[in-house]
Amino acid sequence: MIRYTLRRVVLFLFTLWLLTLFLFSLNYFFPGNPLTNMTGIADSSSEAYRLAAEQRYFGGTIIEQYGGFLQQLVQGNWGQSLVTERPVFEDGLTALGASLELSLLAMLVAFVFGAPLGIYAAIQQRGLLDRVIMGTGLSAYSIPVFWLAQLCILLFAVKLGWAPISSQINPLYDVPTTTGAILIDISISDYEFKQAALRDALHHLWLPVAVLAIMPLTMLMRITRNAMLDVLSHNYIRAARARGLSETRILLRHSIPNSMQPVVRQLGLQFSMLMSNLIVTEVIFNWPGVGSWLVKAIYERDYPVLQAGLLMLATLILFVNVAVELFHAWRYPQVRKELYAEH
Amino acid sequence: MVIQRFWLVVGCCCVVAACSQPDEQPEPLRQGLVYCAEGNPESFNPQLGTSGTTIDATSAQLYDRLIDYDAERQQFEPALALSWQALDDGKRYRFELRKDVEFHQTQWFTPTRRFSADDVLFSFNRWLNPDHPYHSVGGGSYPFFNSSGLIHLIERIEMIDSHTIDIHLAQADSSFLANMATDFAVILSAEYGTNLLQAGTPEAIDRQPIGTGPFRFVEFRKDISIRYYRHENYWRKPPGIRQLVYTITPNANKRMLKLLTGECDVIPYPLVDKLAELSTDTEIEVQSAVNPNIAFWAFNTERPPFDQPLVRQALAHAINRPAIIQTIYDGNARLATGVLPETSWAFSEEDQTYPFNPERARALLAEAGYADGFSMSIWAMPVQRAYNPNAERMAELIQSDLARVGISATMVTYEWNTFRRRLANGEHDSVLIGWVADNADPDNFFRPILSCAAKESGNNRANWCDPAFDQLLIDAISATNRDQRVNLYQDIERAITQAVPLVPIANSLRFQAQRADIEGVELPPYGGLSFRRASRVQEQPQQTPEPAADAVKEQP
Repeated sequence: MIRYTLRRVVLFLFTLWLLTLFLFSLNYFFPGNPLTNMTGIADSSSEAYRLAAEQRYFGGTIIEQYGGFLQQLVQGNWGQSLVTERPVFEDGLTALGASLELSLLAMLVAFVFGAPLGIYAAIQQRGLLDRVIMGTGLSAYSIPVFWLAQLCILLFAVKLGWAPISSQINPLYDVPTTTGAILIDISISDYEFKQAALRDALHHLWLPVAVLAIMPLTMLMRITRNAMLDVLSHNYIRAARARGLSETRILLRHSIPNSMQPVVRQLGLQFSMLMSNLIVTEVIFNWPGVGSWLVKAIYERDYPVLQAGLLMLATLILFVNVAVELFHAWRYPQVRKELYAEH
Repeated sequence: MVIQRFWLVVGCCCVVAACSQPDEQPEPLRQGLVYCAEGNPESFNPQLGTSGTTIDATSAQLYDRLIDYDAERQQFEPALALSWQALDDGKRYRFELRKDVEFHQTQWFTPTRRFSADDVLFSFNRWLNPDHPYHSVGGGSYPFFNSSGLIHLIERIEMIDSHTIDIHLAQADSSFLANMATDFAVILSAEYGTNLLQAGTPEAIDRQPIGTGPFRFVEFRKDISIRYYRHENYWRKPPGIRQLVYTITPNANKRMLKLLTGECDVIPYPLVDKLAELSTDTEIEVQSAVNPNIAFWAFNTERPPFDQPLVRQALAHAINRPAIIQTIYDGNARLATGVLPETSWAFSEEDQTYPFNPERARALLAEAGYADGFSMSIWAMPVQRAYNPNAERMAELIQSDLARVGISATMVTYEWNTFRRRLANGEHDSVLIGWVADNADPDNFFRPILSCAAKESGNNRANWCDPAFDQLLIDAISATNRDQRVNLYQDIERAITQAVPLVPIANSLRFQAQRADIEGVELPPYGGLSFRRASRVQEQPQQTPEPAADAVKEQP
């Protein structure tokens, strides 16, 4: 396991390093002054510019400049936005908080609903409910997110009035932004109308979470069903039945735990897909997360923000994938055996 | 089986919890108002810009002026100045100032004294006097004061005592008071200015503003929101709402949806016909107001071939304005007959424009030496304004009209603040933009947009500077007799028709939509929006006395 963990971590770090190399070179490929692209300081006669040039060794060779770039990156000194002149790292953290809240909740919903539905469908294989679940699953899976979001907005927000369509909370609730994740922000603040604000935040949250969860939910449902069917056809299940174990016990002790193995492996992949949908969802619902931050930076050619957005999303996806793989290998010894080719 | 039932129940609970609405509105919602603005303000000081978005967001909310203009009664009203009089044949104006005016108290500034003549001197000298420590802070360009000629008109400001000032003019000017009442002539705090200079952060004066207005600034998050709180010690009756939030929503469609879902209480420039389709109930009200505006197509007269009047006349003949108006304004606008709109007292019925005539256009082009046409760019502004709800669509229509006379045009657009900056640099061939008057004087339609001074300050979209035309403008403001001035403005209109630095397109109504429970957000014909009198009508109070409503009345 140690060997495997090391290998994964080294691969993770190597990919990150390649990413920083890529981001560093972007500064030179973008039009304009590389240092301005990097730090967002446009006025080349200012003291701040001179200081930044010194910190990033802009008199030296390209290797030294890369060293300076890396050093500042690690220290959290990511420059300022070309448009708003606000520090990129700080803004990025709150944006990341907002994105994480949305995506983790969506992932949770997808898992909590997708896996049981898949199990249910597998037990009812070829039954009416199985067909209904898989049919709706397939059609929901084939609707693109931007379209689904618009449909949901029209139905739930405009026609039924069940949900608002933009941002995390009614702006009249003056909750200070600390982490960016609105539920946490409300909980840790000493705001006077906490209860009402929390209700309002949930009211804003449910529709984007639902929209975002649909795709991974249907995927997990199908994967779980297939895994479950596979497990159920194994001899040990038949043996358990023969020994007279109750169906519930077989389900809880044998088939569900074993069928979760391929499902867990899929979580990382699903998270990556979720991230691309996250960008679309954030833009449509005006969610102040990394996705809408990145898209806006692309429109406004705000290079420091663009790099930060790329770095954050890519790191997040990499990190989650490595974490899932490690968990998978740790939780399921048979996977580890396959990896080390031991039998 | 048990597990599945369990999840079903959990699911139902979640959905129900999410959908159930609280019966009673919590206090922040009852005591607040959300305005969905169409864009970000450029700064929080209206002295520095001319964009309507900035004015709507700042001027009437954060600041007061010496005098106000009441458009209904067509007269000036006292504001920070209790009274004023013209002396020395209109070359000197004396203002008596109010003594009970408090400045905003915020986290970054606590005023130690009330409003006095020092503040007027500070605010005016900032744009008047190039040696003033704040003159070059925030760019040092004061487009309104430059192009309206105030910078040259006011010779100096003299403090008589702590609450009396004299403004000395270079010559008598009939538009002086009108300019004093515009949204640009705001009063800042001199004490705050001094504090910031000592702290070494003078730029903060336009970012963390302090004024005397009905609301105080709390925070601004670009592209997200602006937050204001009520100024509790406001010298007039404080506003009926405690909190005012502007959420930045550039997309007109989204603004409309947010109004329908109740996330916006008031929205500017609604898509009127679509809104009528979607709102079947009485929750939404649409207001329209006559707006003294003009949409025009200006040519950059410094760039060939637009430096030739023949080419400009040809282009004016080439476009089908009635068809454009039908498509873009949906019947809510009037075909412009000149630069002045119908609402101005100097307006005349005489049509000063070029009729749609492609043959004539082609002949004029041939005469100018462009028989084979040329290619050009049409800049279309990215935001909706009262005078033009959809400049990009208009540019497309003009594009196809031009193609018929052999000119190939491309449309160009940028984010609004970038757009304005590049326009000021003169990077365009032609632009679709417009003008909304700041005051009732007809002069406001010409000097701020077509004079040589306007060209210098970057507001003359045609980059057109003709000394003879400037002389006409000066004659018109020096005249005191109204009939005489009407005639002079007709001459000015004719001069514009001759030279065609711009093609007037339409005068339109300004629209605003709001939730039915909002009161007191009126559309003023001149200048920006004001939320001073805004309030939310409470629906049948369930519990007897509303504590919040009482708090309002207790204010001094």
